[in-house]
Amino acid sequence: MSINIKIDDTNFEVEDNSLLIDILLKNDIKIPHFCYHEALGADGNCRMCMVEIAGQKRPQIACDTFAKEGMEVFTKTASIHAVRQDILELELINHPIDCPTCDQAGECKLQDYYMDYGFYESAINSSDKIKHEKHKDLGSNVILDQERCVLCARCTRFTTDITKTHELGIIGRGDEARVTTMPNKKLDNPYAMNIVDLCPVGALTSKDFRFSQRSWLLTSSPSVCHGCDKGCNIYIDHNKLKYQDAKIYRFKPRYNKNINGHFICDEGRLSYKELEENRQYNLLSDNKVISKNIAIETLNSKINSYKNNITILVDANLYNEELEAIKSYALSIGAKIFSPLSSYMDNAFGDDWLKSSMRASNAKGIKSLSINTEITEDYTTTGLLINFNHPNPDLLSYLELVEFKTHINNEKDKEENLNLIFPLAVSSESEGTLINKNNITQYCKKVINKNSPTPTALEWILDITGDIK
Amino acid sequence: MIEEVKVVSHRFNINNSHLLDTILSYGAYRVLPIGLSMKKDSILDMIVQSGLRGKGGGGALAGEKWLLMPKDDPRPSYLVVNCDESEPGTFKDRQIITKDPHLLIEGMILTAYAIGANIAYIYIRGEYQDFEAILQKAIDDAYEKGYLGENIIGKNFNLDITIHRGAGAYICGEKSALLESLEGKRGHPRLKPKAKEPEWYFGNPTLVNNVETITSVPFIIENRAAAYKRFGTENSSGSMLFALSGHIEKAGVHEVAFGTSMLEFINQFGGGVKNGKKLKAVIPGGSSTPILTADEVAKATLDYETLRSLGSSLGTGGMIIMDEDTDMVEALKNLLEFYHDESCGQCTPCREGTGLTDTLLAKILDGRGSSKDIDKLLDLADIMNGKTICVFAPAVSGVIQSFISKFRDEFEKKEIK
Repeated sequence: MSINIKIDDTNFEVEDNSLLIDILLKNDIKIPHFCYHEALGADGNCRMCMVEIAGQKRPQIACDTFAKEGMEVFTKTASIHAVRQDILELELINHPIDCPTCDQAGECKLQDYYMDYGFYESAINSSDKIKHEKHKDLGSNVILDQERCVLCARCTRFTTDITKTHELGIIGRGDEARVTTMPNKKLDNPYAMNIVDLCPVGALTSKDFRFSQRSWLLTSSPSVCHGCDKGCNIYIDHNKLKYQDAKIYRFKPRYNKNINGHFICDEGRLSYKELEENRQYNLLSDNKVISKNIAIETLNSKINSYKNNITILVDANLYNEELEAIKSYALSIGAKIFSPLSSYMDNAFGDDWLKSSMRASNAKGIKSLSINTEITEDYTTTGLLINFNHPNPDLLSYLELVEFKTHINNEKDKEENLNLIFPLAVSSESEGTLINKNNITQYCKKVINKNSPTPTALEWILDITGDIK
Repeated sequence: MIEEVKVVSHRFNINNSHLLDTILSYGAYRVLPIGLSMKKDSILDMIVQSGLRGKGGGGALAGEKWLLMPKDDPRPSYLVVNCDESEPGTFKDRQIITKDPHLLIEGMILTAYAIGANIAYIYIRGEYQDFEAILQKAIDDAYEKGYLGENIIGKNFNLDITIHRGAGAYICGEKSALLESLEGKRGHPRLKPKAKEPEWYFGNPTLVNNVETITSVPFIIENRAAAYKRFGTENSSGSMLFALSGHIEKAGVHEVAFGTSMLEFINQFGGGVKNGKKLKAVIPGGSSTPILTADEVAKATLDYETLRSLGSSLGTGGMIIMDEDTDMVEALKNLLEFYHDESCGQCTPCREGTGLTDTLLAKILDGRGSSKDIDKLLDLADIMNGKTICVFAPAVSGVIQSFISKFRDEFEKKEIK
């Protein structure tokens, strides 16, 4: 049932009994808060989200106030501003104010709110501040600075209510209260690094990211994680220094209520590294760098000599558009096309939340394009095998192998791989759509532009087929 | 001459009154057959009629609280007795559990019967280790004699009582923090419900009452509500254990009717201010209640309404007497150190405010302060008032405001030292 409420003289139609802070956030009305988080619910400890409600003699916290018919809410009055300023001043009393050396600077709620409500004289000397443990390694790539903490308890609530792993708690009372790990326990769960995102201040920072880049230099581009077929939404945070190649510094979860909510797994979060490491950049034949024209010529002559004896393998991480192009190419040269999905199964990885055992981000895309997902037992050999980055070409025995690959797979590759090898762009350097395990199609745009870009599968097909005619 | 009332203290002066064998011949558990034969509703009705107030500090009507317990709820109900007596100046509950623990147990059985609870807990202050041993012995003896366990005194009612010792946090005297602690969690007060409802222990309806409140129940059931209402005033009916400590000749606990003159109480039971000095001030009901000057004390009577009209509160009835030589800044510092140490640290205004007020007052005591710091203390008291989950910070706020507004000159003298 919907009701009418009034916020700062504007009328809103909202669901009866919905949480006031959700209404304010949804309508982009400024409401400072530390402890409230949509995924964790209200805890009521930070007292920043105070609003005035007509008929109530005291300010109320918006995270524990429910909309009622005719409710009148004020968020911008002088008295509310004063209350928020007072609370913020207390938050900062024992805060070290070390923004210049803090990795959170630029994306810190204390900084944001100080700009909104601050600008007061400090009531305490820095020598009187309470000292606590700094750069404490909690485990799972998370570093804690207890002095910067505002004790909003988002991190402890995450490990208590969401992962239910209970590694974190608050010990000590009053201004001696601090977050720490349980005795003899380390932070150890596959989603641990989400607490770095949850932390509104610089208390929890990522060991992987900290000090590598100031947050305001980064560009956040929306994308989708390629770690499994769950298709968690992410931001790719990257920066391109002048004359240098663009570089990815981190993945952060991007809210999508139908897929991953507010979180991603740590393995997915750290998978950005794979986009840069061990990349195949050179066009090779007999382990020698060759030109594009010669490579395409060589490929086409191999295709001519193996007529009707060609098989194509495709990676189930390629975008639908790329798969479709490869499929038509296969048809045009009379090749059989497969994408064996068993190679991607990883039961140890999967769980019942965000991690799926099918570690190919577009397995559903393969199925929707009717590409065979397994090689039948009677089909064991082929003359020429063209592999578009499938991880396991040795499923078939072949006479000759042509590879389109993003990465140098192993040590052997580095020493001698006499096959014809085409370098292939990784997902962040290409674009297209993916279908996740729940049949949701998602578009990933091209995020990284290299100075000398590696061609995408689509570009290779265009080059090769262009040559055929 | 004030007459002592004997609602909960009538067996305090008997030798070995904590032992079941002794106390049985003085009528312990004699109310059980009466209470357990009554209808539950008539007991509830009786408590409502009696006007019994909660004796833990808040002074809410006990009957109203009992009526919040749901009837015919599929979930089990619980009774929790709050014996986390940590308020400075308060030592009345420990008189009950050491001098007449069986009266508490009797009261618990009757209360549990009335609200339909078969499991009851006594949450006892961790430091009360020796008293806990006495209480535990009383419970063990009661089990042996059939006053606890199954089919109590042959009636169709079961009750188990378990003592749970706190770990030393003052805040666990706050009922929702107490329940969090009882559930095995960190003792943090819970967000208050929007409408009146019972407390919840693991999601089950629960009644939390102070030791003295529960101990008053047998008297009311035996003598009927009207007998209890005869004591006290119109709105503060009945009696309470009042405690005296501080600069007083004879510290101690005495039960009198509400409405008794505070000054008379101090003089008659305490023998006046220590060493014949003049009275300067009294903290009326445990350290968290705003302080009263000697003039105000002269006007004060020991009931909720009068003390509220004086801008303070009856609280737990633990009076702290201060003589003319008391340094009020030192006295406030002593209290703020306590609150600094005991703030649970959940809400920002309290967590940081108790520490900052303590630090600022230390500065003033040191002679490094200025009148700006005194004003800052008042500002902070204002910030801490009404912006937190529980009433800890508002209480500290009231203490600071009352000390500074009533004795500001003493604070100002410190600065120019």
